[in-house]
Amino acid sequence: MIDQRHDTLDHTPRCGDGRAPDPLVPAGWLPMREYGEDEVDFVIVGTGAGGAPLAAKLAEQGFSVIAMDAGAFFRPLEDFASDEMHQRKLYWTDDRLVDGDNPLQLGANNSGKAVGGSTIHFAMVSLRFRPEHFASRSKLGYGVDWPIDWREMWRYYEEVERMLHISGPVRYPWGPKRPRYPLRVHPMNAGAQYLARGAKALGIDWTETPIATLSTPIGKAHPCVYRGFCVTGCSTNAKQSALVTWIPRAIRAGAEIRDLAMVGRIETDASGRATGVHYHRADAWHFQKARHVVAAGYAIETPRLLLNSANAAQPDGLANSSGLVGRNLMVQLNQAAWGEVDKEVRAYKGPPSLAISEHWNYTDAGKDYLGGWTYMSQGPLPAQWARTLARTRGLWGQALVDEMNRANHTVGLKMVGEVLPNEANRVTLADETDQYGLRIPRVTFSYSDNEKRMMRHAVAFMKQSLEATGARDTWDQMDDTCHLGGTARMGRNAATSVVDADGRSWDVPNLWVCDGSVFPTVGGVNPSLTIQALACRTADRIGALARRGEL
Amino acid sequence: MSTGTALARGIARLNDVARAPRGAERAASRLLSAGASVVASSVLVDSAMEHYRGSFRDPAMVLPIALSAGSLLLNGRETLAPAGPSTLARMVHVTAGAVGSAGLAFHAWNVGKQAGGFRLVNLFYRAPLGAPATLLLTGLIGTMAERLADPAAPRFAAFLRAPRVVGTVAAMGLAGTVAEAGLLHFRGAYHDPAMWLPVSLPPLATLSLLRDVLTLAPRRMTYGLLGATAAMGVIGMAFHAYGVARNMGGWRNWRQNLLAGPPLPAPPSFSGLAVAGIAALRLLKDMRRG
Ligand SMILES: Cc1cc2nc3c(=O)[nH]c(=O)nc-3n(C[C@H](O)[C@H](O)[C@H](O)COP(=O)(O)OP(=O)(O)OC[C@H]3O[C@@H](n4cnc5c(N)ncnc54)[C@H](O)[C@@H]3O)c2cc1C
Ligand code: SF4
Repeated sequence: MIDQRHDTLDHTPRCGDGRAPDPLVPAGWLPMREYGEDEVDFVIVGTGAGGAPLAAKLAEQGFSVIAMDAGAFFRPLEDFASDEMHQRKLYWTDDRLVDGDNPLQLGANNSGKAVGGSTIHFAMVSLRFRPEHFASRSKLGYGVDWPIDWREMWRYYEEVERMLHISGPVRYPWGPKRPRYPLRVHPMNAGAQYLARGAKALGIDWTETPIATLSTPIGKAHPCVYRGFCVTGCSTNAKQSALVTWIPRAIRAGAEIRDLAMVGRIETDASGRATGVHYHRADAWHFQKARHVVAAGYAIETPRLLLNSANAAQPDGLANSSGLVGRNLMVQLNQAAWGEVDKEVRAYKGPPSLAISEHWNYTDAGKDYLGGWTYMSQGPLPAQWARTLARTRGLWGQALVDEMNRANHTVGLKMVGEVLPNEANRVTLADETDQYGLRIPRVTFSYSDNEKRMMRHAVAFMKQSLEATGARDTWDQMDDTCHLGGTARMGRNAATSVVDADGRSWDVPNLWVCDGSVFPTVGGVNPSLTIQALACRTADRIGALARRGEL
Repeated sequence: MSTGTALARGIARLNDVARAPRGAERAASRLLSAGASVVASSVLVDSAMEHYRGSFRDPAMVLPIALSAGSLLLNGRETLAPAGPSTLARMVHVTAGAVGSAGLAFHAWNVGKQAGGFRLVNLFYRAPLGAPATLLLTGLIGTMAERLADPAAPRFAAFLRAPRVVGTVAAMGLAGTVAEAGLLHFRGAYHDPAMWLPVSLPPLATLSLLRDVLTLAPRRMTYGLLGATAAMGVIGMAFHAYGVARNMGGWRNWRQNLLAGPPLPAPPSFSGLAVAGIAALRLLKDMRRG
């Protein structure tokens, strides 16, 4: 039955007729304002970690806002199944080409397609950047500086942490003082306990991970039930995805959400200003007029959209006078160490990463590479685990069955490591087209020696930690990456960046970018909290510019 | 407050009806039995649920269930139809106290050996220190009731009859329960304003009771605060029932949510201890008269 529903959901938009689904109530609806094809103040392309908070905060300031997403508008309580295969409906699996020395794996591990974006199936780890990572060039001698001071970000982090009811430790061991997390920590699953014991044995700090899932009921959302289906979408609404937090807030503030609306091109007039977007919805192309356009499709789709929107005056792509649109694509290293213990661990119970150490994100000495990394406990679901074993260890047949039988005794630690910006890593357009007739992205990526050294250090360290807790038969998983960033970087001038600190294009003054692609560097922690904090800042800045008549 | 006072007076008067050997002591004994019954039921339901959740991994996990059940039966009988002191009752109460103490030590050991030791996360979610402490209280209050039931009974632990001792035990019990509610409501980030109630009202009742114990002068205000605390324990159950409903599946999914949600049997411990406090006031009052 769910599958049938999914089929219709795939093709029939749910938003319209003055209402949008209420993601927190089965079969529920929220009244929604609609703007038709009239010119609106802002059209936002993408409703993930960047687009959703921006839509909410702009609508609250009285702007007319339409936020479009290529994906569906789900009600997790009734639309999500506890089935890894079925839930693939959350991933962006449209055609993309990958190349380079280390072609990236795309889809489940880094791209979502739904109202709420990748936050629907993200792992909820909600970390603040290390302050120095906003100025890694001047403070640490690598990468580039952000055009924003960390103290300003600290305030926006607090706003997002409150909005998402982040559950975290009372005292955070690293970095400058931060306010107490709104909710208390979750119980640690066995996997997290192995991280804690290992860290203790190696003499470094660890803590319970600050995480965007409720440890107590809030409003209509239930607290976490620790079943561990997080990365296939949370069916209890405990997970504080953009879908259950910012999106209802945006709708209540008067924003319109258009689900299943794929934007193919940003239109510009003779003066080079954006006039609106062409989008595909319900089997037809439409045009939405807007005074401002915001690209928030994440670090592959945003540059793809800008490149696909090239015009006679800007033949290399919109907002691309610097030539940097699509360049400096960064992922994060996601290598892991695994081992086996006697005790039954069942690490897939509960959110996957309940304990963390940022030791190597805050420690610079003793490294033969630049950049920081954190590591967390891991709890892969069975099908994903089988895939990992088959892919990275080449196990098949009886060998795979035997290893799967040991899955309940497997413990693992996984890194999130900083990849440095490199212009050769980039998103370009391929000649092939997708189901909408749009040119598909080609994603080129290679590791540098710096990254290879970081991985070696991290994996060896994590292995040491596992072994210190009695794990045997440890092995490395060297092939995984996560998170995207950097293909429309922000900066202090038009020659070296695509947008300014507010996310505003240097070339097209009414075009903005608000998602993970504006990151000049990615730091050693997961990005979603920073993306949301930046979106809140962008919204405030747009308000301030409007008041000064500078929009 | 005045409703609380009326309630407390009502509770105290119930006993006067059945005025037995030495009025006040007998009445206090019966009140203590009533309080111990309530605390014992709380322990019974709580330990049964939690140790069921823990799959009775250790055979000793049945002990608190057996002893709280025994304590409930004996104290319940003493409340409804006092039969006076008995060796069996004394043995059950003393054993309950001993098992409670052992349980406390065991739970503490268990928390201490977790990764992170006595960190908040383990105090929140691992073997709770409050639960065995409540069994210890059940035993103590039951013993006090039994000692007071017959003034002529053997001299075993006679000091437990002293009004000051009864008052202090009730106050300490309340303080411990406040600490437990404080810890667990902190774990719930005080997301509902009602969660502040058990960490504000009972502490006032406790302080007021302690003052009366020191001055040997029971005051109206203490009756009021203890009565209100007793009522709060009952209302707290309703709040916890609402808390259970807010978990995935609500009450339809009671088999999981009774374990996942706020513990239904916890708040009544406050009621039982408040009643024990009222018993102390009754003794103090009589002491002044005498
Ligand atoms: C499995 C997984 C686990 C993760 N775990 C964590 C974690 O634990 N912590 C953390 O901080 N981060 C995590 N992330 C990363 C985090 O989810 C992303 O960094 C973040 O959601 C990116 O925000 P965004 O707004 O840039 O893009 P997204 O959230 O991906 O939103 C982009 C949206 O735009 C839509 N879109 C794109 N192009 C178009 C178009 N042309 N027209 C219409 N719509 C379009 C897409 O459908 C999508 O919904 C995880 C990601 C994944 C996939
Ligand atoms: S473990 Fe918690 S956050 Fe993850 S899917 Fe289940 S309820 Fe949601």
